[in-house]
Amino acid sequence: MSVSAIEHRAALGGKAPLISTGVTLRTLPEGHVLHLLSASADSDVSATISAVLGCDALTKRSVSPGQWFVVGDEPLSAAALADIVKKVKPHAEVVDQSHGRVRIAIAGAKATSVLAKGTAADLALNVFPVGHATTTLIGHIATHITRVSEDGFELMVLRGFAESLWEELAELSVEFR
Amino acid sequence: MTSYRLDKGGLIDRSKPLSFTFDGKGMIGVEGDSLASALLANGQMLLGRSFKYHRPRGVISAGASEPNALMTVAQGGRTEPNTRATMQELYEGLVAQSQNRWPSLNIDISSLNSLLSPFLSAGFYYKTFMWPAGLWERLYEPLIRRAAGLGKATYEADPDRYEKCWAHCDLLIVGGGATGLAAALTAGRAGARVILVDENAMIGGGLLSETATIGGVSAVEFAGRTVAELESLPNVQVLSRTTAFGWYDGNVFGAVERVQKHASEPRPEVPVERLWRIVAKQAILAAGAEERPLIFGGNDIPGVMMASAMRAYLNRYGVAPGKSVAVFTTNDSGYTLARDLEKAGLRLVAIVDSRRSGATAGVYEGSARIINGGFVPDAEGGKALSSITILQDGRKEKLAVDSLAMSGGFSPVVHLAYHRGGRPEWSDAEATFVAPEDHKGLSLAGAAAKASGLAGCLEAGARKAEALLGKLEIKADPAAFGAVEGDIVAAPTKPVWIIPGIKGKAFVDFQNDVHHRDIGLAVREGYGHVELAKRYTTNGMATDQGKLSNVNAIGLLAEARGVSPADVGTTTFRPFYTPVSFGALAGTSHGKHFQPVRKSPLHDWAVKNGATFVETGLWYRSAWFPLAGEKTWRESVDREAKNVRRNAGLCDVSMLGKIEITGKDAAEFLDRVYCNAFRKLPVGKARYGLMLREDGFIFDDGTTSRLEDERFFMTTTTAYAAGVMNHLEFCAQALWPELDVRLASVTDQWAQMAIAGPKSRLILQRIVDQDISNEAFPFLGAKDVSLFGGKLSGRLFRISFSGELAYELAVPAGYGEAAADALMEAGNEHGICAYGVEALSVLRIEKGHVTHNEINGTVVPTDLGFGKMVSATKVDFIGKRLLEREGLNDPNRLQLVGVVPLDSGTSFRSGAHVLEKGAEATLENDQGYISSSCYSPHVGSTIGLALVKRGSSRHGEEVQVWNGLLNEFTAARLCHPIFVDPANEKLKG
Repeated sequence: MSVSAIEHRAALGGKAPLISTGVTLRTLPEGHVLHLLSASADSDVSATISAVLGCDALTKRSVSPGQWFVVGDEPLSAAALADIVKKVKPHAEVVDQSHGRVRIAIAGAKATSVLAKGTAADLALNVFPVGHATTTLIGHIATHITRVSEDGFELMVLRGFAESLWEELAELSVEFR
Repeated sequence: MTSYRLDKGGLIDRSKPLSFTFDGKGMIGVEGDSLASALLANGQMLLGRSFKYHRPRGVISAGASEPNALMTVAQGGRTEPNTRATMQELYEGLVAQSQNRWPSLNIDISSLNSLLSPFLSAGFYYKTFMWPAGLWERLYEPLIRRAAGLGKATYEADPDRYEKCWAHCDLLIVGGGATGLAAALTAGRAGARVILVDENAMIGGGLLSETATIGGVSAVEFAGRTVAELESLPNVQVLSRTTAFGWYDGNVFGAVERVQKHASEPRPEVPVERLWRIVAKQAILAAGAEERPLIFGGNDIPGVMMASAMRAYLNRYGVAPGKSVAVFTTNDSGYTLARDLEKAGLRLVAIVDSRRSGATAGVYEGSARIINGGFVPDAEGGKALSSITILQDGRKEKLAVDSLAMSGGFSPVVHLAYHRGGRPEWSDAEATFVAPEDHKGLSLAGAAAKASGLAGCLEAGARKAEALLGKLEIKADPAAFGAVEGDIVAAPTKPVWIIPGIKGKAFVDFQNDVHHRDIGLAVREGYGHVELAKRYTTNGMATDQGKLSNVNAIGLLAEARGVSPADVGTTTFRPFYTPVSFGALAGTSHGKHFQPVRKSPLHDWAVKNGATFVETGLWYRSAWFPLAGEKTWRESVDREAKNVRRNAGLCDVSMLGKIEITGKDAAEFLDRVYCNAFRKLPVGKARYGLMLREDGFIFDDGTTSRLEDERFFMTTTTAYAAGVMNHLEFCAQALWPELDVRLASVTDQWAQMAIAGPKSRLILQRIVDQDISNEAFPFLGAKDVSLFGGKLSGRLFRISFSGELAYELAVPAGYGEAAADALMEAGNEHGICAYGVEALSVLRIEKGHVTHNEINGTVVPTDLGFGKMVSATKVDFIGKRLLEREGLNDPNRLQLVGVVPLDSGTSFRSGAHVLEKGAEATLENDQGYISSSCYSPHVGSTIGLALVKRGSSRHGEEVQVWNGLLNEFTAARLCHPIFVDPANEKLKG
């Protein structure tokens, strides 16, 4: 039995970045995505969890009232995950979505213009500042958007839709390439 | 320059000629021309044939309301019929064709329809083609459609790109005339997020045909400067060539931008049209006002046009409307044109003013003949205007003219303001229908809101912007502009609905060929209500939506009924304001991007194993895995099904919905959403669950496993994955917010595979680190397992859809393909095969397992033999109360039963109905229907599951299965729905 062949396969493996002066699309490493679910939507719960995990707004992203995604580029070992679960447990349940969600980075002066072709969310910097996140549709595909810099966003999508979203974004950004 | 092009003036560049063709004839226009202005400059007055009577038509307007000059533009896949020549910008190489004529525009045989016109009045088709009814679809309608029509769409694929887009702003301004520009400047300078849309290529609206000055500069220059300032502001977005076509909930406006419809060679990377959805905190409708035609005989002859349109051709495009011109007006605005015509050196034959008092003092100082208290009852000519008849004080006089301008007053363009309900009201003072200024989220300003004159509009726009921004707590100072000079402010005058003494056909709706007598006929025949008259006469029903005709039709209805237009009211305003292409509405959603594709983490594994795929919703599921030499799908499916029962098979079930349910009250929650009990399900166990709707019918089924005391793992059917998740969220958030329950969709987190067959345990044990013997891991076990010597963790469930000894193994999705590869390798010596959803279906039908074929919204648990699953002891669960209804406990209900043909060589299909032996195929004799069927390689014939009246007590009865589509009868026998291993020995072994 060739157990050495148990290799991870990325949903968007082999997708080369699409780079232009206006907009850049690239796949992000399938590190970890932890779905935190609290019984309470109070802001102090959120603050407590952030403090316990020592994470900032870019690492712990709002999903819905009382729910967050904690993301990172590195895969978590079973021990590391268990440690996080233990720390968070009094405040929130943890569901591992590291394989269920795929992240795509989109950046550049035209990133907002490309996304505006897909989402009804208002992405103006003063309305949607760095660290702000929301779940929306890009075209027909449910997507979680986080602003990670003035002209950069991370898009998180169900693994099964990742390829379609990538292709849709590529199509929507053609005019800026 | 051509004979009708003036030597100077206009916003065109005479040094840049553009060649184009009209009906194959080469012509030259210049940059800045519209197709209509270029045709007029070439002396081409005849531009099309009318819809019903095939009358010669020219151009009547210079904008969006054009009902006559409709033509087919471009070629091949870019062919666009019914293009308004007034809105189409000219480009090099443009190809235009006239429409609705045969054999040519000049000689159109169907123009004989005009001679038949006494028989072709409103309602003609309804009255004449009533019988025989059968001929309507086969004969009458095709004939009528061929004779009466517009352009033809192409069958070729559109090569261009379209897209959709969202935008957000504090203030949206619809219309870039004086009002809109003043509003945009006020708001833009205040720092508000502003979007200004205007349907024309050049922003400025009426300013572009204006000869007045504003603050000492020409109106045109004023518009240019203002637009330049707006475009320099980062908070302002100016969208030209963009028509706001609808106002929707949430203060969202739909608009379509014609990005490259004016380009000879559209850039392939840029869309030709873009559909905008603009979310505005506040909006101003500054769409101006539409001039009303006058209704006299021959008012449709080429050469007759709106006075404001003639002014636009003259001042903006530098085109003379003719060699000798007359103006027919009911108000002062006609004199603005008269002044400009004389200034351009054209021969103005007469100004016919319906008012006995004539023009307001000081309005006109020219030298043309003025006929006060006069009318034009008829215009004469065929393909071009040759003369008009003047009626004054009972005397008639004929004047030779080749061009006539008409002005019947103005109606504010309030269309958008009523897309969300309501109707404008008649105002005697304004002599038109007017709308209140402020609607929630949308306000009217300028000519759309009764303001008149440039100065009035500029002020109204600036003030409105200031007021609306105030609501958003943005302080704005109304932009101030210098004095306006040379503007004629026309006060409203009493409308003249019908000109006295008409002889010819006087058109109300030009595009649909409705003339004034049709309106009278509608009233006489009892269709006097405005909505009925519209349908009866087709007035306002054409693609122009009656922009020029609706108010006049209402006026005529009022006169015919002897009431005020206030009593008639308007028809309903609806999107779209002007036609929008399907391309823009579809955006990128066509071809490959028609809909997203959802791929299983085992997709590439299936590809590698030669799968044939089937689309299931958005998923691509492996349907079967043909081997070399297999010629039909059945060969592959039979082999796969047999191999699973003999050896083992691996099937991708990743697309089943998976929901992780946690929280202190998770067990209580499940107890309430399932009809069977879950509270006492032990950790490490899976249980089949039935979820009911409130009305007692089955909603969905699946297994739910208890992984920890407060952590459950639910599976749903593929089809209802999202529906169940929504249902659970609703239950948790709205029904029982007091319960601590948290729901996470983990469908995509796991690659899940069914490993089924007598050798499945042997194979699995090769990769699972823990003991999975029957003792250690019995039927309905569920637990986290370690795989490949600790290299991977997964979840193992001992559940079976096939009825065999079977497992479902879930591994993190990224490792799905590797795990499936390893299982296939480990199973090789045991004869494992990959099997698809078709074999899966055969196996489950053989086992009598139901899917949504049976759970089709009409069945309750007892119908499927699940009566005992319904908890009698739980205090409550969704569906409990309504499940007690009498009808749901009727012994005559359809119940699940098996069906086999008497002769194994015969067959039947799903959807076929069951009849008693010898019974006629009637509705009364219907006993039920086949819900699932397949060929069973284990039974050796077709088998089926059916829902049949009292089915569970009719096993052994001979019936006939009737396929009404093919009219086939198959003799069959009802039987127990489990065809394989009825004692369930295999799955527990």
